[in-house]
Amino acid sequence: MNVETIVLLTVLVPIAGSFATPLAGLVAGRVRSVWAILVGGVTAVLPLTLVPFALQGGELVIRKSLALGLDFVLIVDPLSVFMAGVSSFVGFLIVIYSVGYVHHDENQNEYYLMVLLFIGSMMGLVFSGNLIFLYLFWEIIAIACWRLIGFYREPAHVRKADKAFLMTFFGAVVMLLGFVQIYGLTNTFDITAMRGTVLPGSAVLLILFGMFSKSTTVPLHTWLPDAGVAPSTVTALLHAAVLVKIGVYAFARLFIYTFRLPDGWQEAIPILVMVSALVAAGAAAVENDLKRILAYSTISQIGYIFLGFSMMNAAGISGSLLFILMHGLAKAGLFLCAGIVIHAVHTKDIREMGGLIKTMPVTAVAFLVCAFSVIGIPPFGGFFSKFLVILATVQAGHAWLAAVALFTAVLTMYYLFKVFSLVFLGEARHPAPERTKSMVFVVALLAVLSLAAGLFVAYPMKLVNIATTQMSWWLR
Amino acid sequence: MTPKILLLPILLPAVLAVVLLLLPRTLRLLRDILAVAGAAVLLYYGFVLFSAKDLRLSVPWLGMGIDFDLRLYHFSSFILLALAGFLILIAVYATVKMKDAPRSGEFMAYVFLTAAFANGAVLSNNFVPLVFFWEGLLVTLYGLITIGGRPTSGRTAVKAVLISGFCDFAMILGIGLLWTVTGTLTMSEVSVEPTGLAAVAFVMMMIGAAGKAGAMPFHTWIPDAAVDAPVTFMAFLPAAFEKLLGIYLLARVALDFFKLRPGSGLSILLMVVGAVTIVLAVLMALIQKDLKRLLSYHAVSQVGYMVLGIGTAVPFGIAGGIFHMINHAMYKSGLFLSAGSVEHRTGTTDLKKLGGLRREMPLTAFGFVVCALAISGVWPLNGFVSKEMVFHGALETGYTVFAIAAWVGAIFTFASFLKAGHAVFFGERSLEVPKVRESQPAIVVPVLVLAALCITFGVYNKLPLTVFIQPILEGHAEAGAHLDFTSHALDIFNPVALISIGCLVLAFLIHRLGFLKFGRKAYMASALIQNLPGMRQAYDLAERRVFDPYEQGVKVLQGLSTVLFKAVDRPIDFFFEKIVTVSGEKFTGILRKAHNGHYANYLAWCLAGLIILAGVIGLLAK
Repeated sequence: MNVETIVLLTVLVPIAGSFATPLAGLVAGRVRSVWAILVGGVTAVLPLTLVPFALQGGELVIRKSLALGLDFVLIVDPLSVFMAGVSSFVGFLIVIYSVGYVHHDENQNEYYLMVLLFIGSMMGLVFSGNLIFLYLFWEIIAIACWRLIGFYREPAHVRKADKAFLMTFFGAVVMLLGFVQIYGLTNTFDITAMRGTVLPGSAVLLILFGMFSKSTTVPLHTWLPDAGVAPSTVTALLHAAVLVKIGVYAFARLFIYTFRLPDGWQEAIPILVMVSALVAAGAAAVENDLKRILAYSTISQIGYIFLGFSMMNAAGISGSLLFILMHGLAKAGLFLCAGIVIHAVHTKDIREMGGLIKTMPVTAVAFLVCAFSVIGIPPFGGFFSKFLVILATVQAGHAWLAAVALFTAVLTMYYLFKVFSLVFLGEARHPAPERTKSMVFVVALLAVLSLAAGLFVAYPMKLVNIATTQMSWWLR
Repeated sequence: MTPKILLLPILLPAVLAVVLLLLPRTLRLLRDILAVAGAAVLLYYGFVLFSAKDLRLSVPWLGMGIDFDLRLYHFSSFILLALAGFLILIAVYATVKMKDAPRSGEFMAYVFLTAAFANGAVLSNNFVPLVFFWEGLLVTLYGLITIGGRPTSGRTAVKAVLISGFCDFAMILGIGLLWTVTGTLTMSEVSVEPTGLAAVAFVMMMIGAAGKAGAMPFHTWIPDAAVDAPVTFMAFLPAAFEKLLGIYLLARVALDFFKLRPGSGLSILLMVVGAVTIVLAVLMALIQKDLKRLLSYHAVSQVGYMVLGIGTAVPFGIAGGIFHMINHAMYKSGLFLSAGSVEHRTGTTDLKKLGGLRREMPLTAFGFVVCALAISGVWPLNGFVSKEMVFHGALETGYTVFAIAAWVGAIFTFASFLKAGHAVFFGERSLEVPKVRESQPAIVVPVLVLAALCITFGVYNKLPLTVFIQPILEGHAEAGAHLDFTSHALDIFNPVALISIGCLVLAFLIHRLGFLKFGRKAYMASALIQNLPGMRQAYDLAERRVFDPYEQGVKVLQGLSTVLFKAVDRPIDFFFEKIVTVSGEKFTGILRKAHNGHYANYLAWCLAGLIILAGVIGLLAK
């Protein structure tokens, strides 16, 4: 198979597969599960087959002409291959975990349909080389996300789902205005045709609005903690694989790969995102709901990713790309551990848990490992990404921001250890065993991967460095 | 010898740690054999590498000047050898002491993992692998403390990790600044004047190094861990490994990365940290009623001498600081191990309950006494020599106040060890503890080995000084002056040594007086100092952790978090939840009311629309 076929399949397989899910559901529930895992697995493997191509620094633009100059453009380069690989892989693991998690619930047809559509549109978004298609996939994801957050159909949950949808939709529409303004400048929506354009400040503001609302940055972040009412698998998907990484990916694709930012924004963005990271870490330290804490933790970590990208130097961009991988693995692990715990003890309040390490040793260790990775403690993967981002911040002359970033890391350490101590150590309140094997297997795998990603960091780093060199053409 | 051999001290203990972790509990004998044999192999290679001297292994790692760069030279090979030496003693000791402890397999595994990280940190010649190994120690630190298994162990472990993590993060910032200043991450290529941004980098890296060594104010987890963690852990990490690593890095920072000048502001800063640590920690040690806690405060206090010695920036003082590091690791490890031996047999380390054990545990008592005399700086043991060197160095800088602080520390060090030794091994046999036997050889031998080393390094001090310490200082711009150990008389007849001996006599008098005054109970001897006006209040506050920066820091974190949550996060959410939705509802409500089905109403709307349209067209037409 040549690269073009693989890319088209990567986008089409999950989207077509998602709509076929209800058909599989007609046959039997088991068939549907197998089908979902199969589609997820194929989607995870396809981008990996592109890695050799990406490692050679290859870049391919696929263009299918459509009416009105709205060409369907796909960009295959190390950046998109890396992002697609990470998202589809973490997404695949979550699909496996889902089989154990939702098998008592209703509406499973819709669940798998939406999850696969979610992953499929993510693939579409990642490879998109046209602003309009980027926007379309962006909104399909919002719709899938809306259905999934309100999956349990309780009125309160549906309201939270509406909130998430409205806020991200609003942000996306504002972003679309920014795209229109760019169209006014360049007369095209084709990303490849407008590389090197210096954006006007107003367009940056409009587009940032969309990115910040999707990648939950203060002050457009509060929908994400509220989205914790969703099943844990969905929250893991939102946080680790698909949703919140869209904004940072778009930042890398648009503000680093394509456009040049005007001077003022290069100074302002790091401050904005660091405030966001600090506020979210503070909120995480105050909250008592396990999933809300983890959600705020994501918001805080997203701040680091933005920080690294906005430094516009090699270490920062590499660090942030690596961050997407490491955070994806570790945060998925944390949410899935939380899922196991909540499934067993039937509460989300960490003050009502305790002593679970005795009955769920694997989950406890996996949680601890993922927490170490999120904090940024070696030998786990998260260390390298956070370390590189902070080094880059100092190197770019923002030593104070680096100090704030490190302080936020101390705060992260504080609240994650607090959570671990309250949930897993101390007196056992609701002793409950780990039940479903597939769920425990997935969290253990994520923990092992977090460790392996740290020990063998040189391998992902190779791809990341190539992506960085290729994105930062203006540094050369 | 190929440079690849440098991977051995990292990979062997790491692999061994994984094996030990996976071995089932029933194979305890195999586990112990593997642990001791592995440690023996490491010790052997410690000697091999020490004789090999210069080796370098550099492989590309992350790009951007970040290589996996290992370098063996006289300083790192010396630390490597010392680490291996302590590792085997701890491994032997743990085979008996940790035998029945829960999670004993994990303990051994974490010990070896710690060794792997520590060896890696010492060998690193690039700041990124250094931080990788250095910060990795947090993981085993957390694991080892929780093995203590007490209800508060988890809390203490978190405290230790948070404090150490804070120091590590400070070091990361320092490394970032240093990278910005020098443009390289290779450690052997970095050498800058500590001015401007580089001075900030120096302070940050100093926090990292001194924090690892346990200097004030980053020490407060150590006394807590003394109670909550296994005593073997105390002998292993806070007493030996962390001191070796912390002081190694501090010496590198002061000697290599930055050109620290005697009398400069940064040198004085280091000396102040050292002096304050010596005096305050020893005063806390003096009043402790539990042997392990008492020892842990000394583990802090002694760091002060090392920091002070290196802070003098005078060759003699730096050599003294480094020599004190290795000496301290020996006698403090020995002290903790003998305390563990007492605990092993009697089940307690409470000074009140113990007494007169010298007849039943003569070997432990002998080891304890030698190590206690060494730490107190009694001639001719090793502590005497290195302390003298620090005193000389401090005097050489011209700031006599630091030497005086060091002497004050010496007085109370000896006083508190007189109290501890008296209360545990001498005096009348207490009745609270049943009759006991001497501990097993695996426990006693490490204690005796360390005691023997204390004597050797003291009596034949020229040997370690010329073999280990002197090469470290050679070739450094500031400290390059050839070290002449004969010009500073390290024997007993010189003014400095006489003052030190005077301090010891004073300490003896304080102890004797306190002993006689407070009912001839050795553990009450320190009450003499404790009851001094003002001291009691200060001690009370200290016991209530008012001076504990961690407790205060956590309060600050909580307060700040609450402020951020209540003042930023919630108002934003309120805006979206209430103001946006309510105004949206109001707006749709108005529209709904407008559609009331009355014909006249709609007609009015149409008319209004027409007028507006006409107005707009009129405006555009103009």
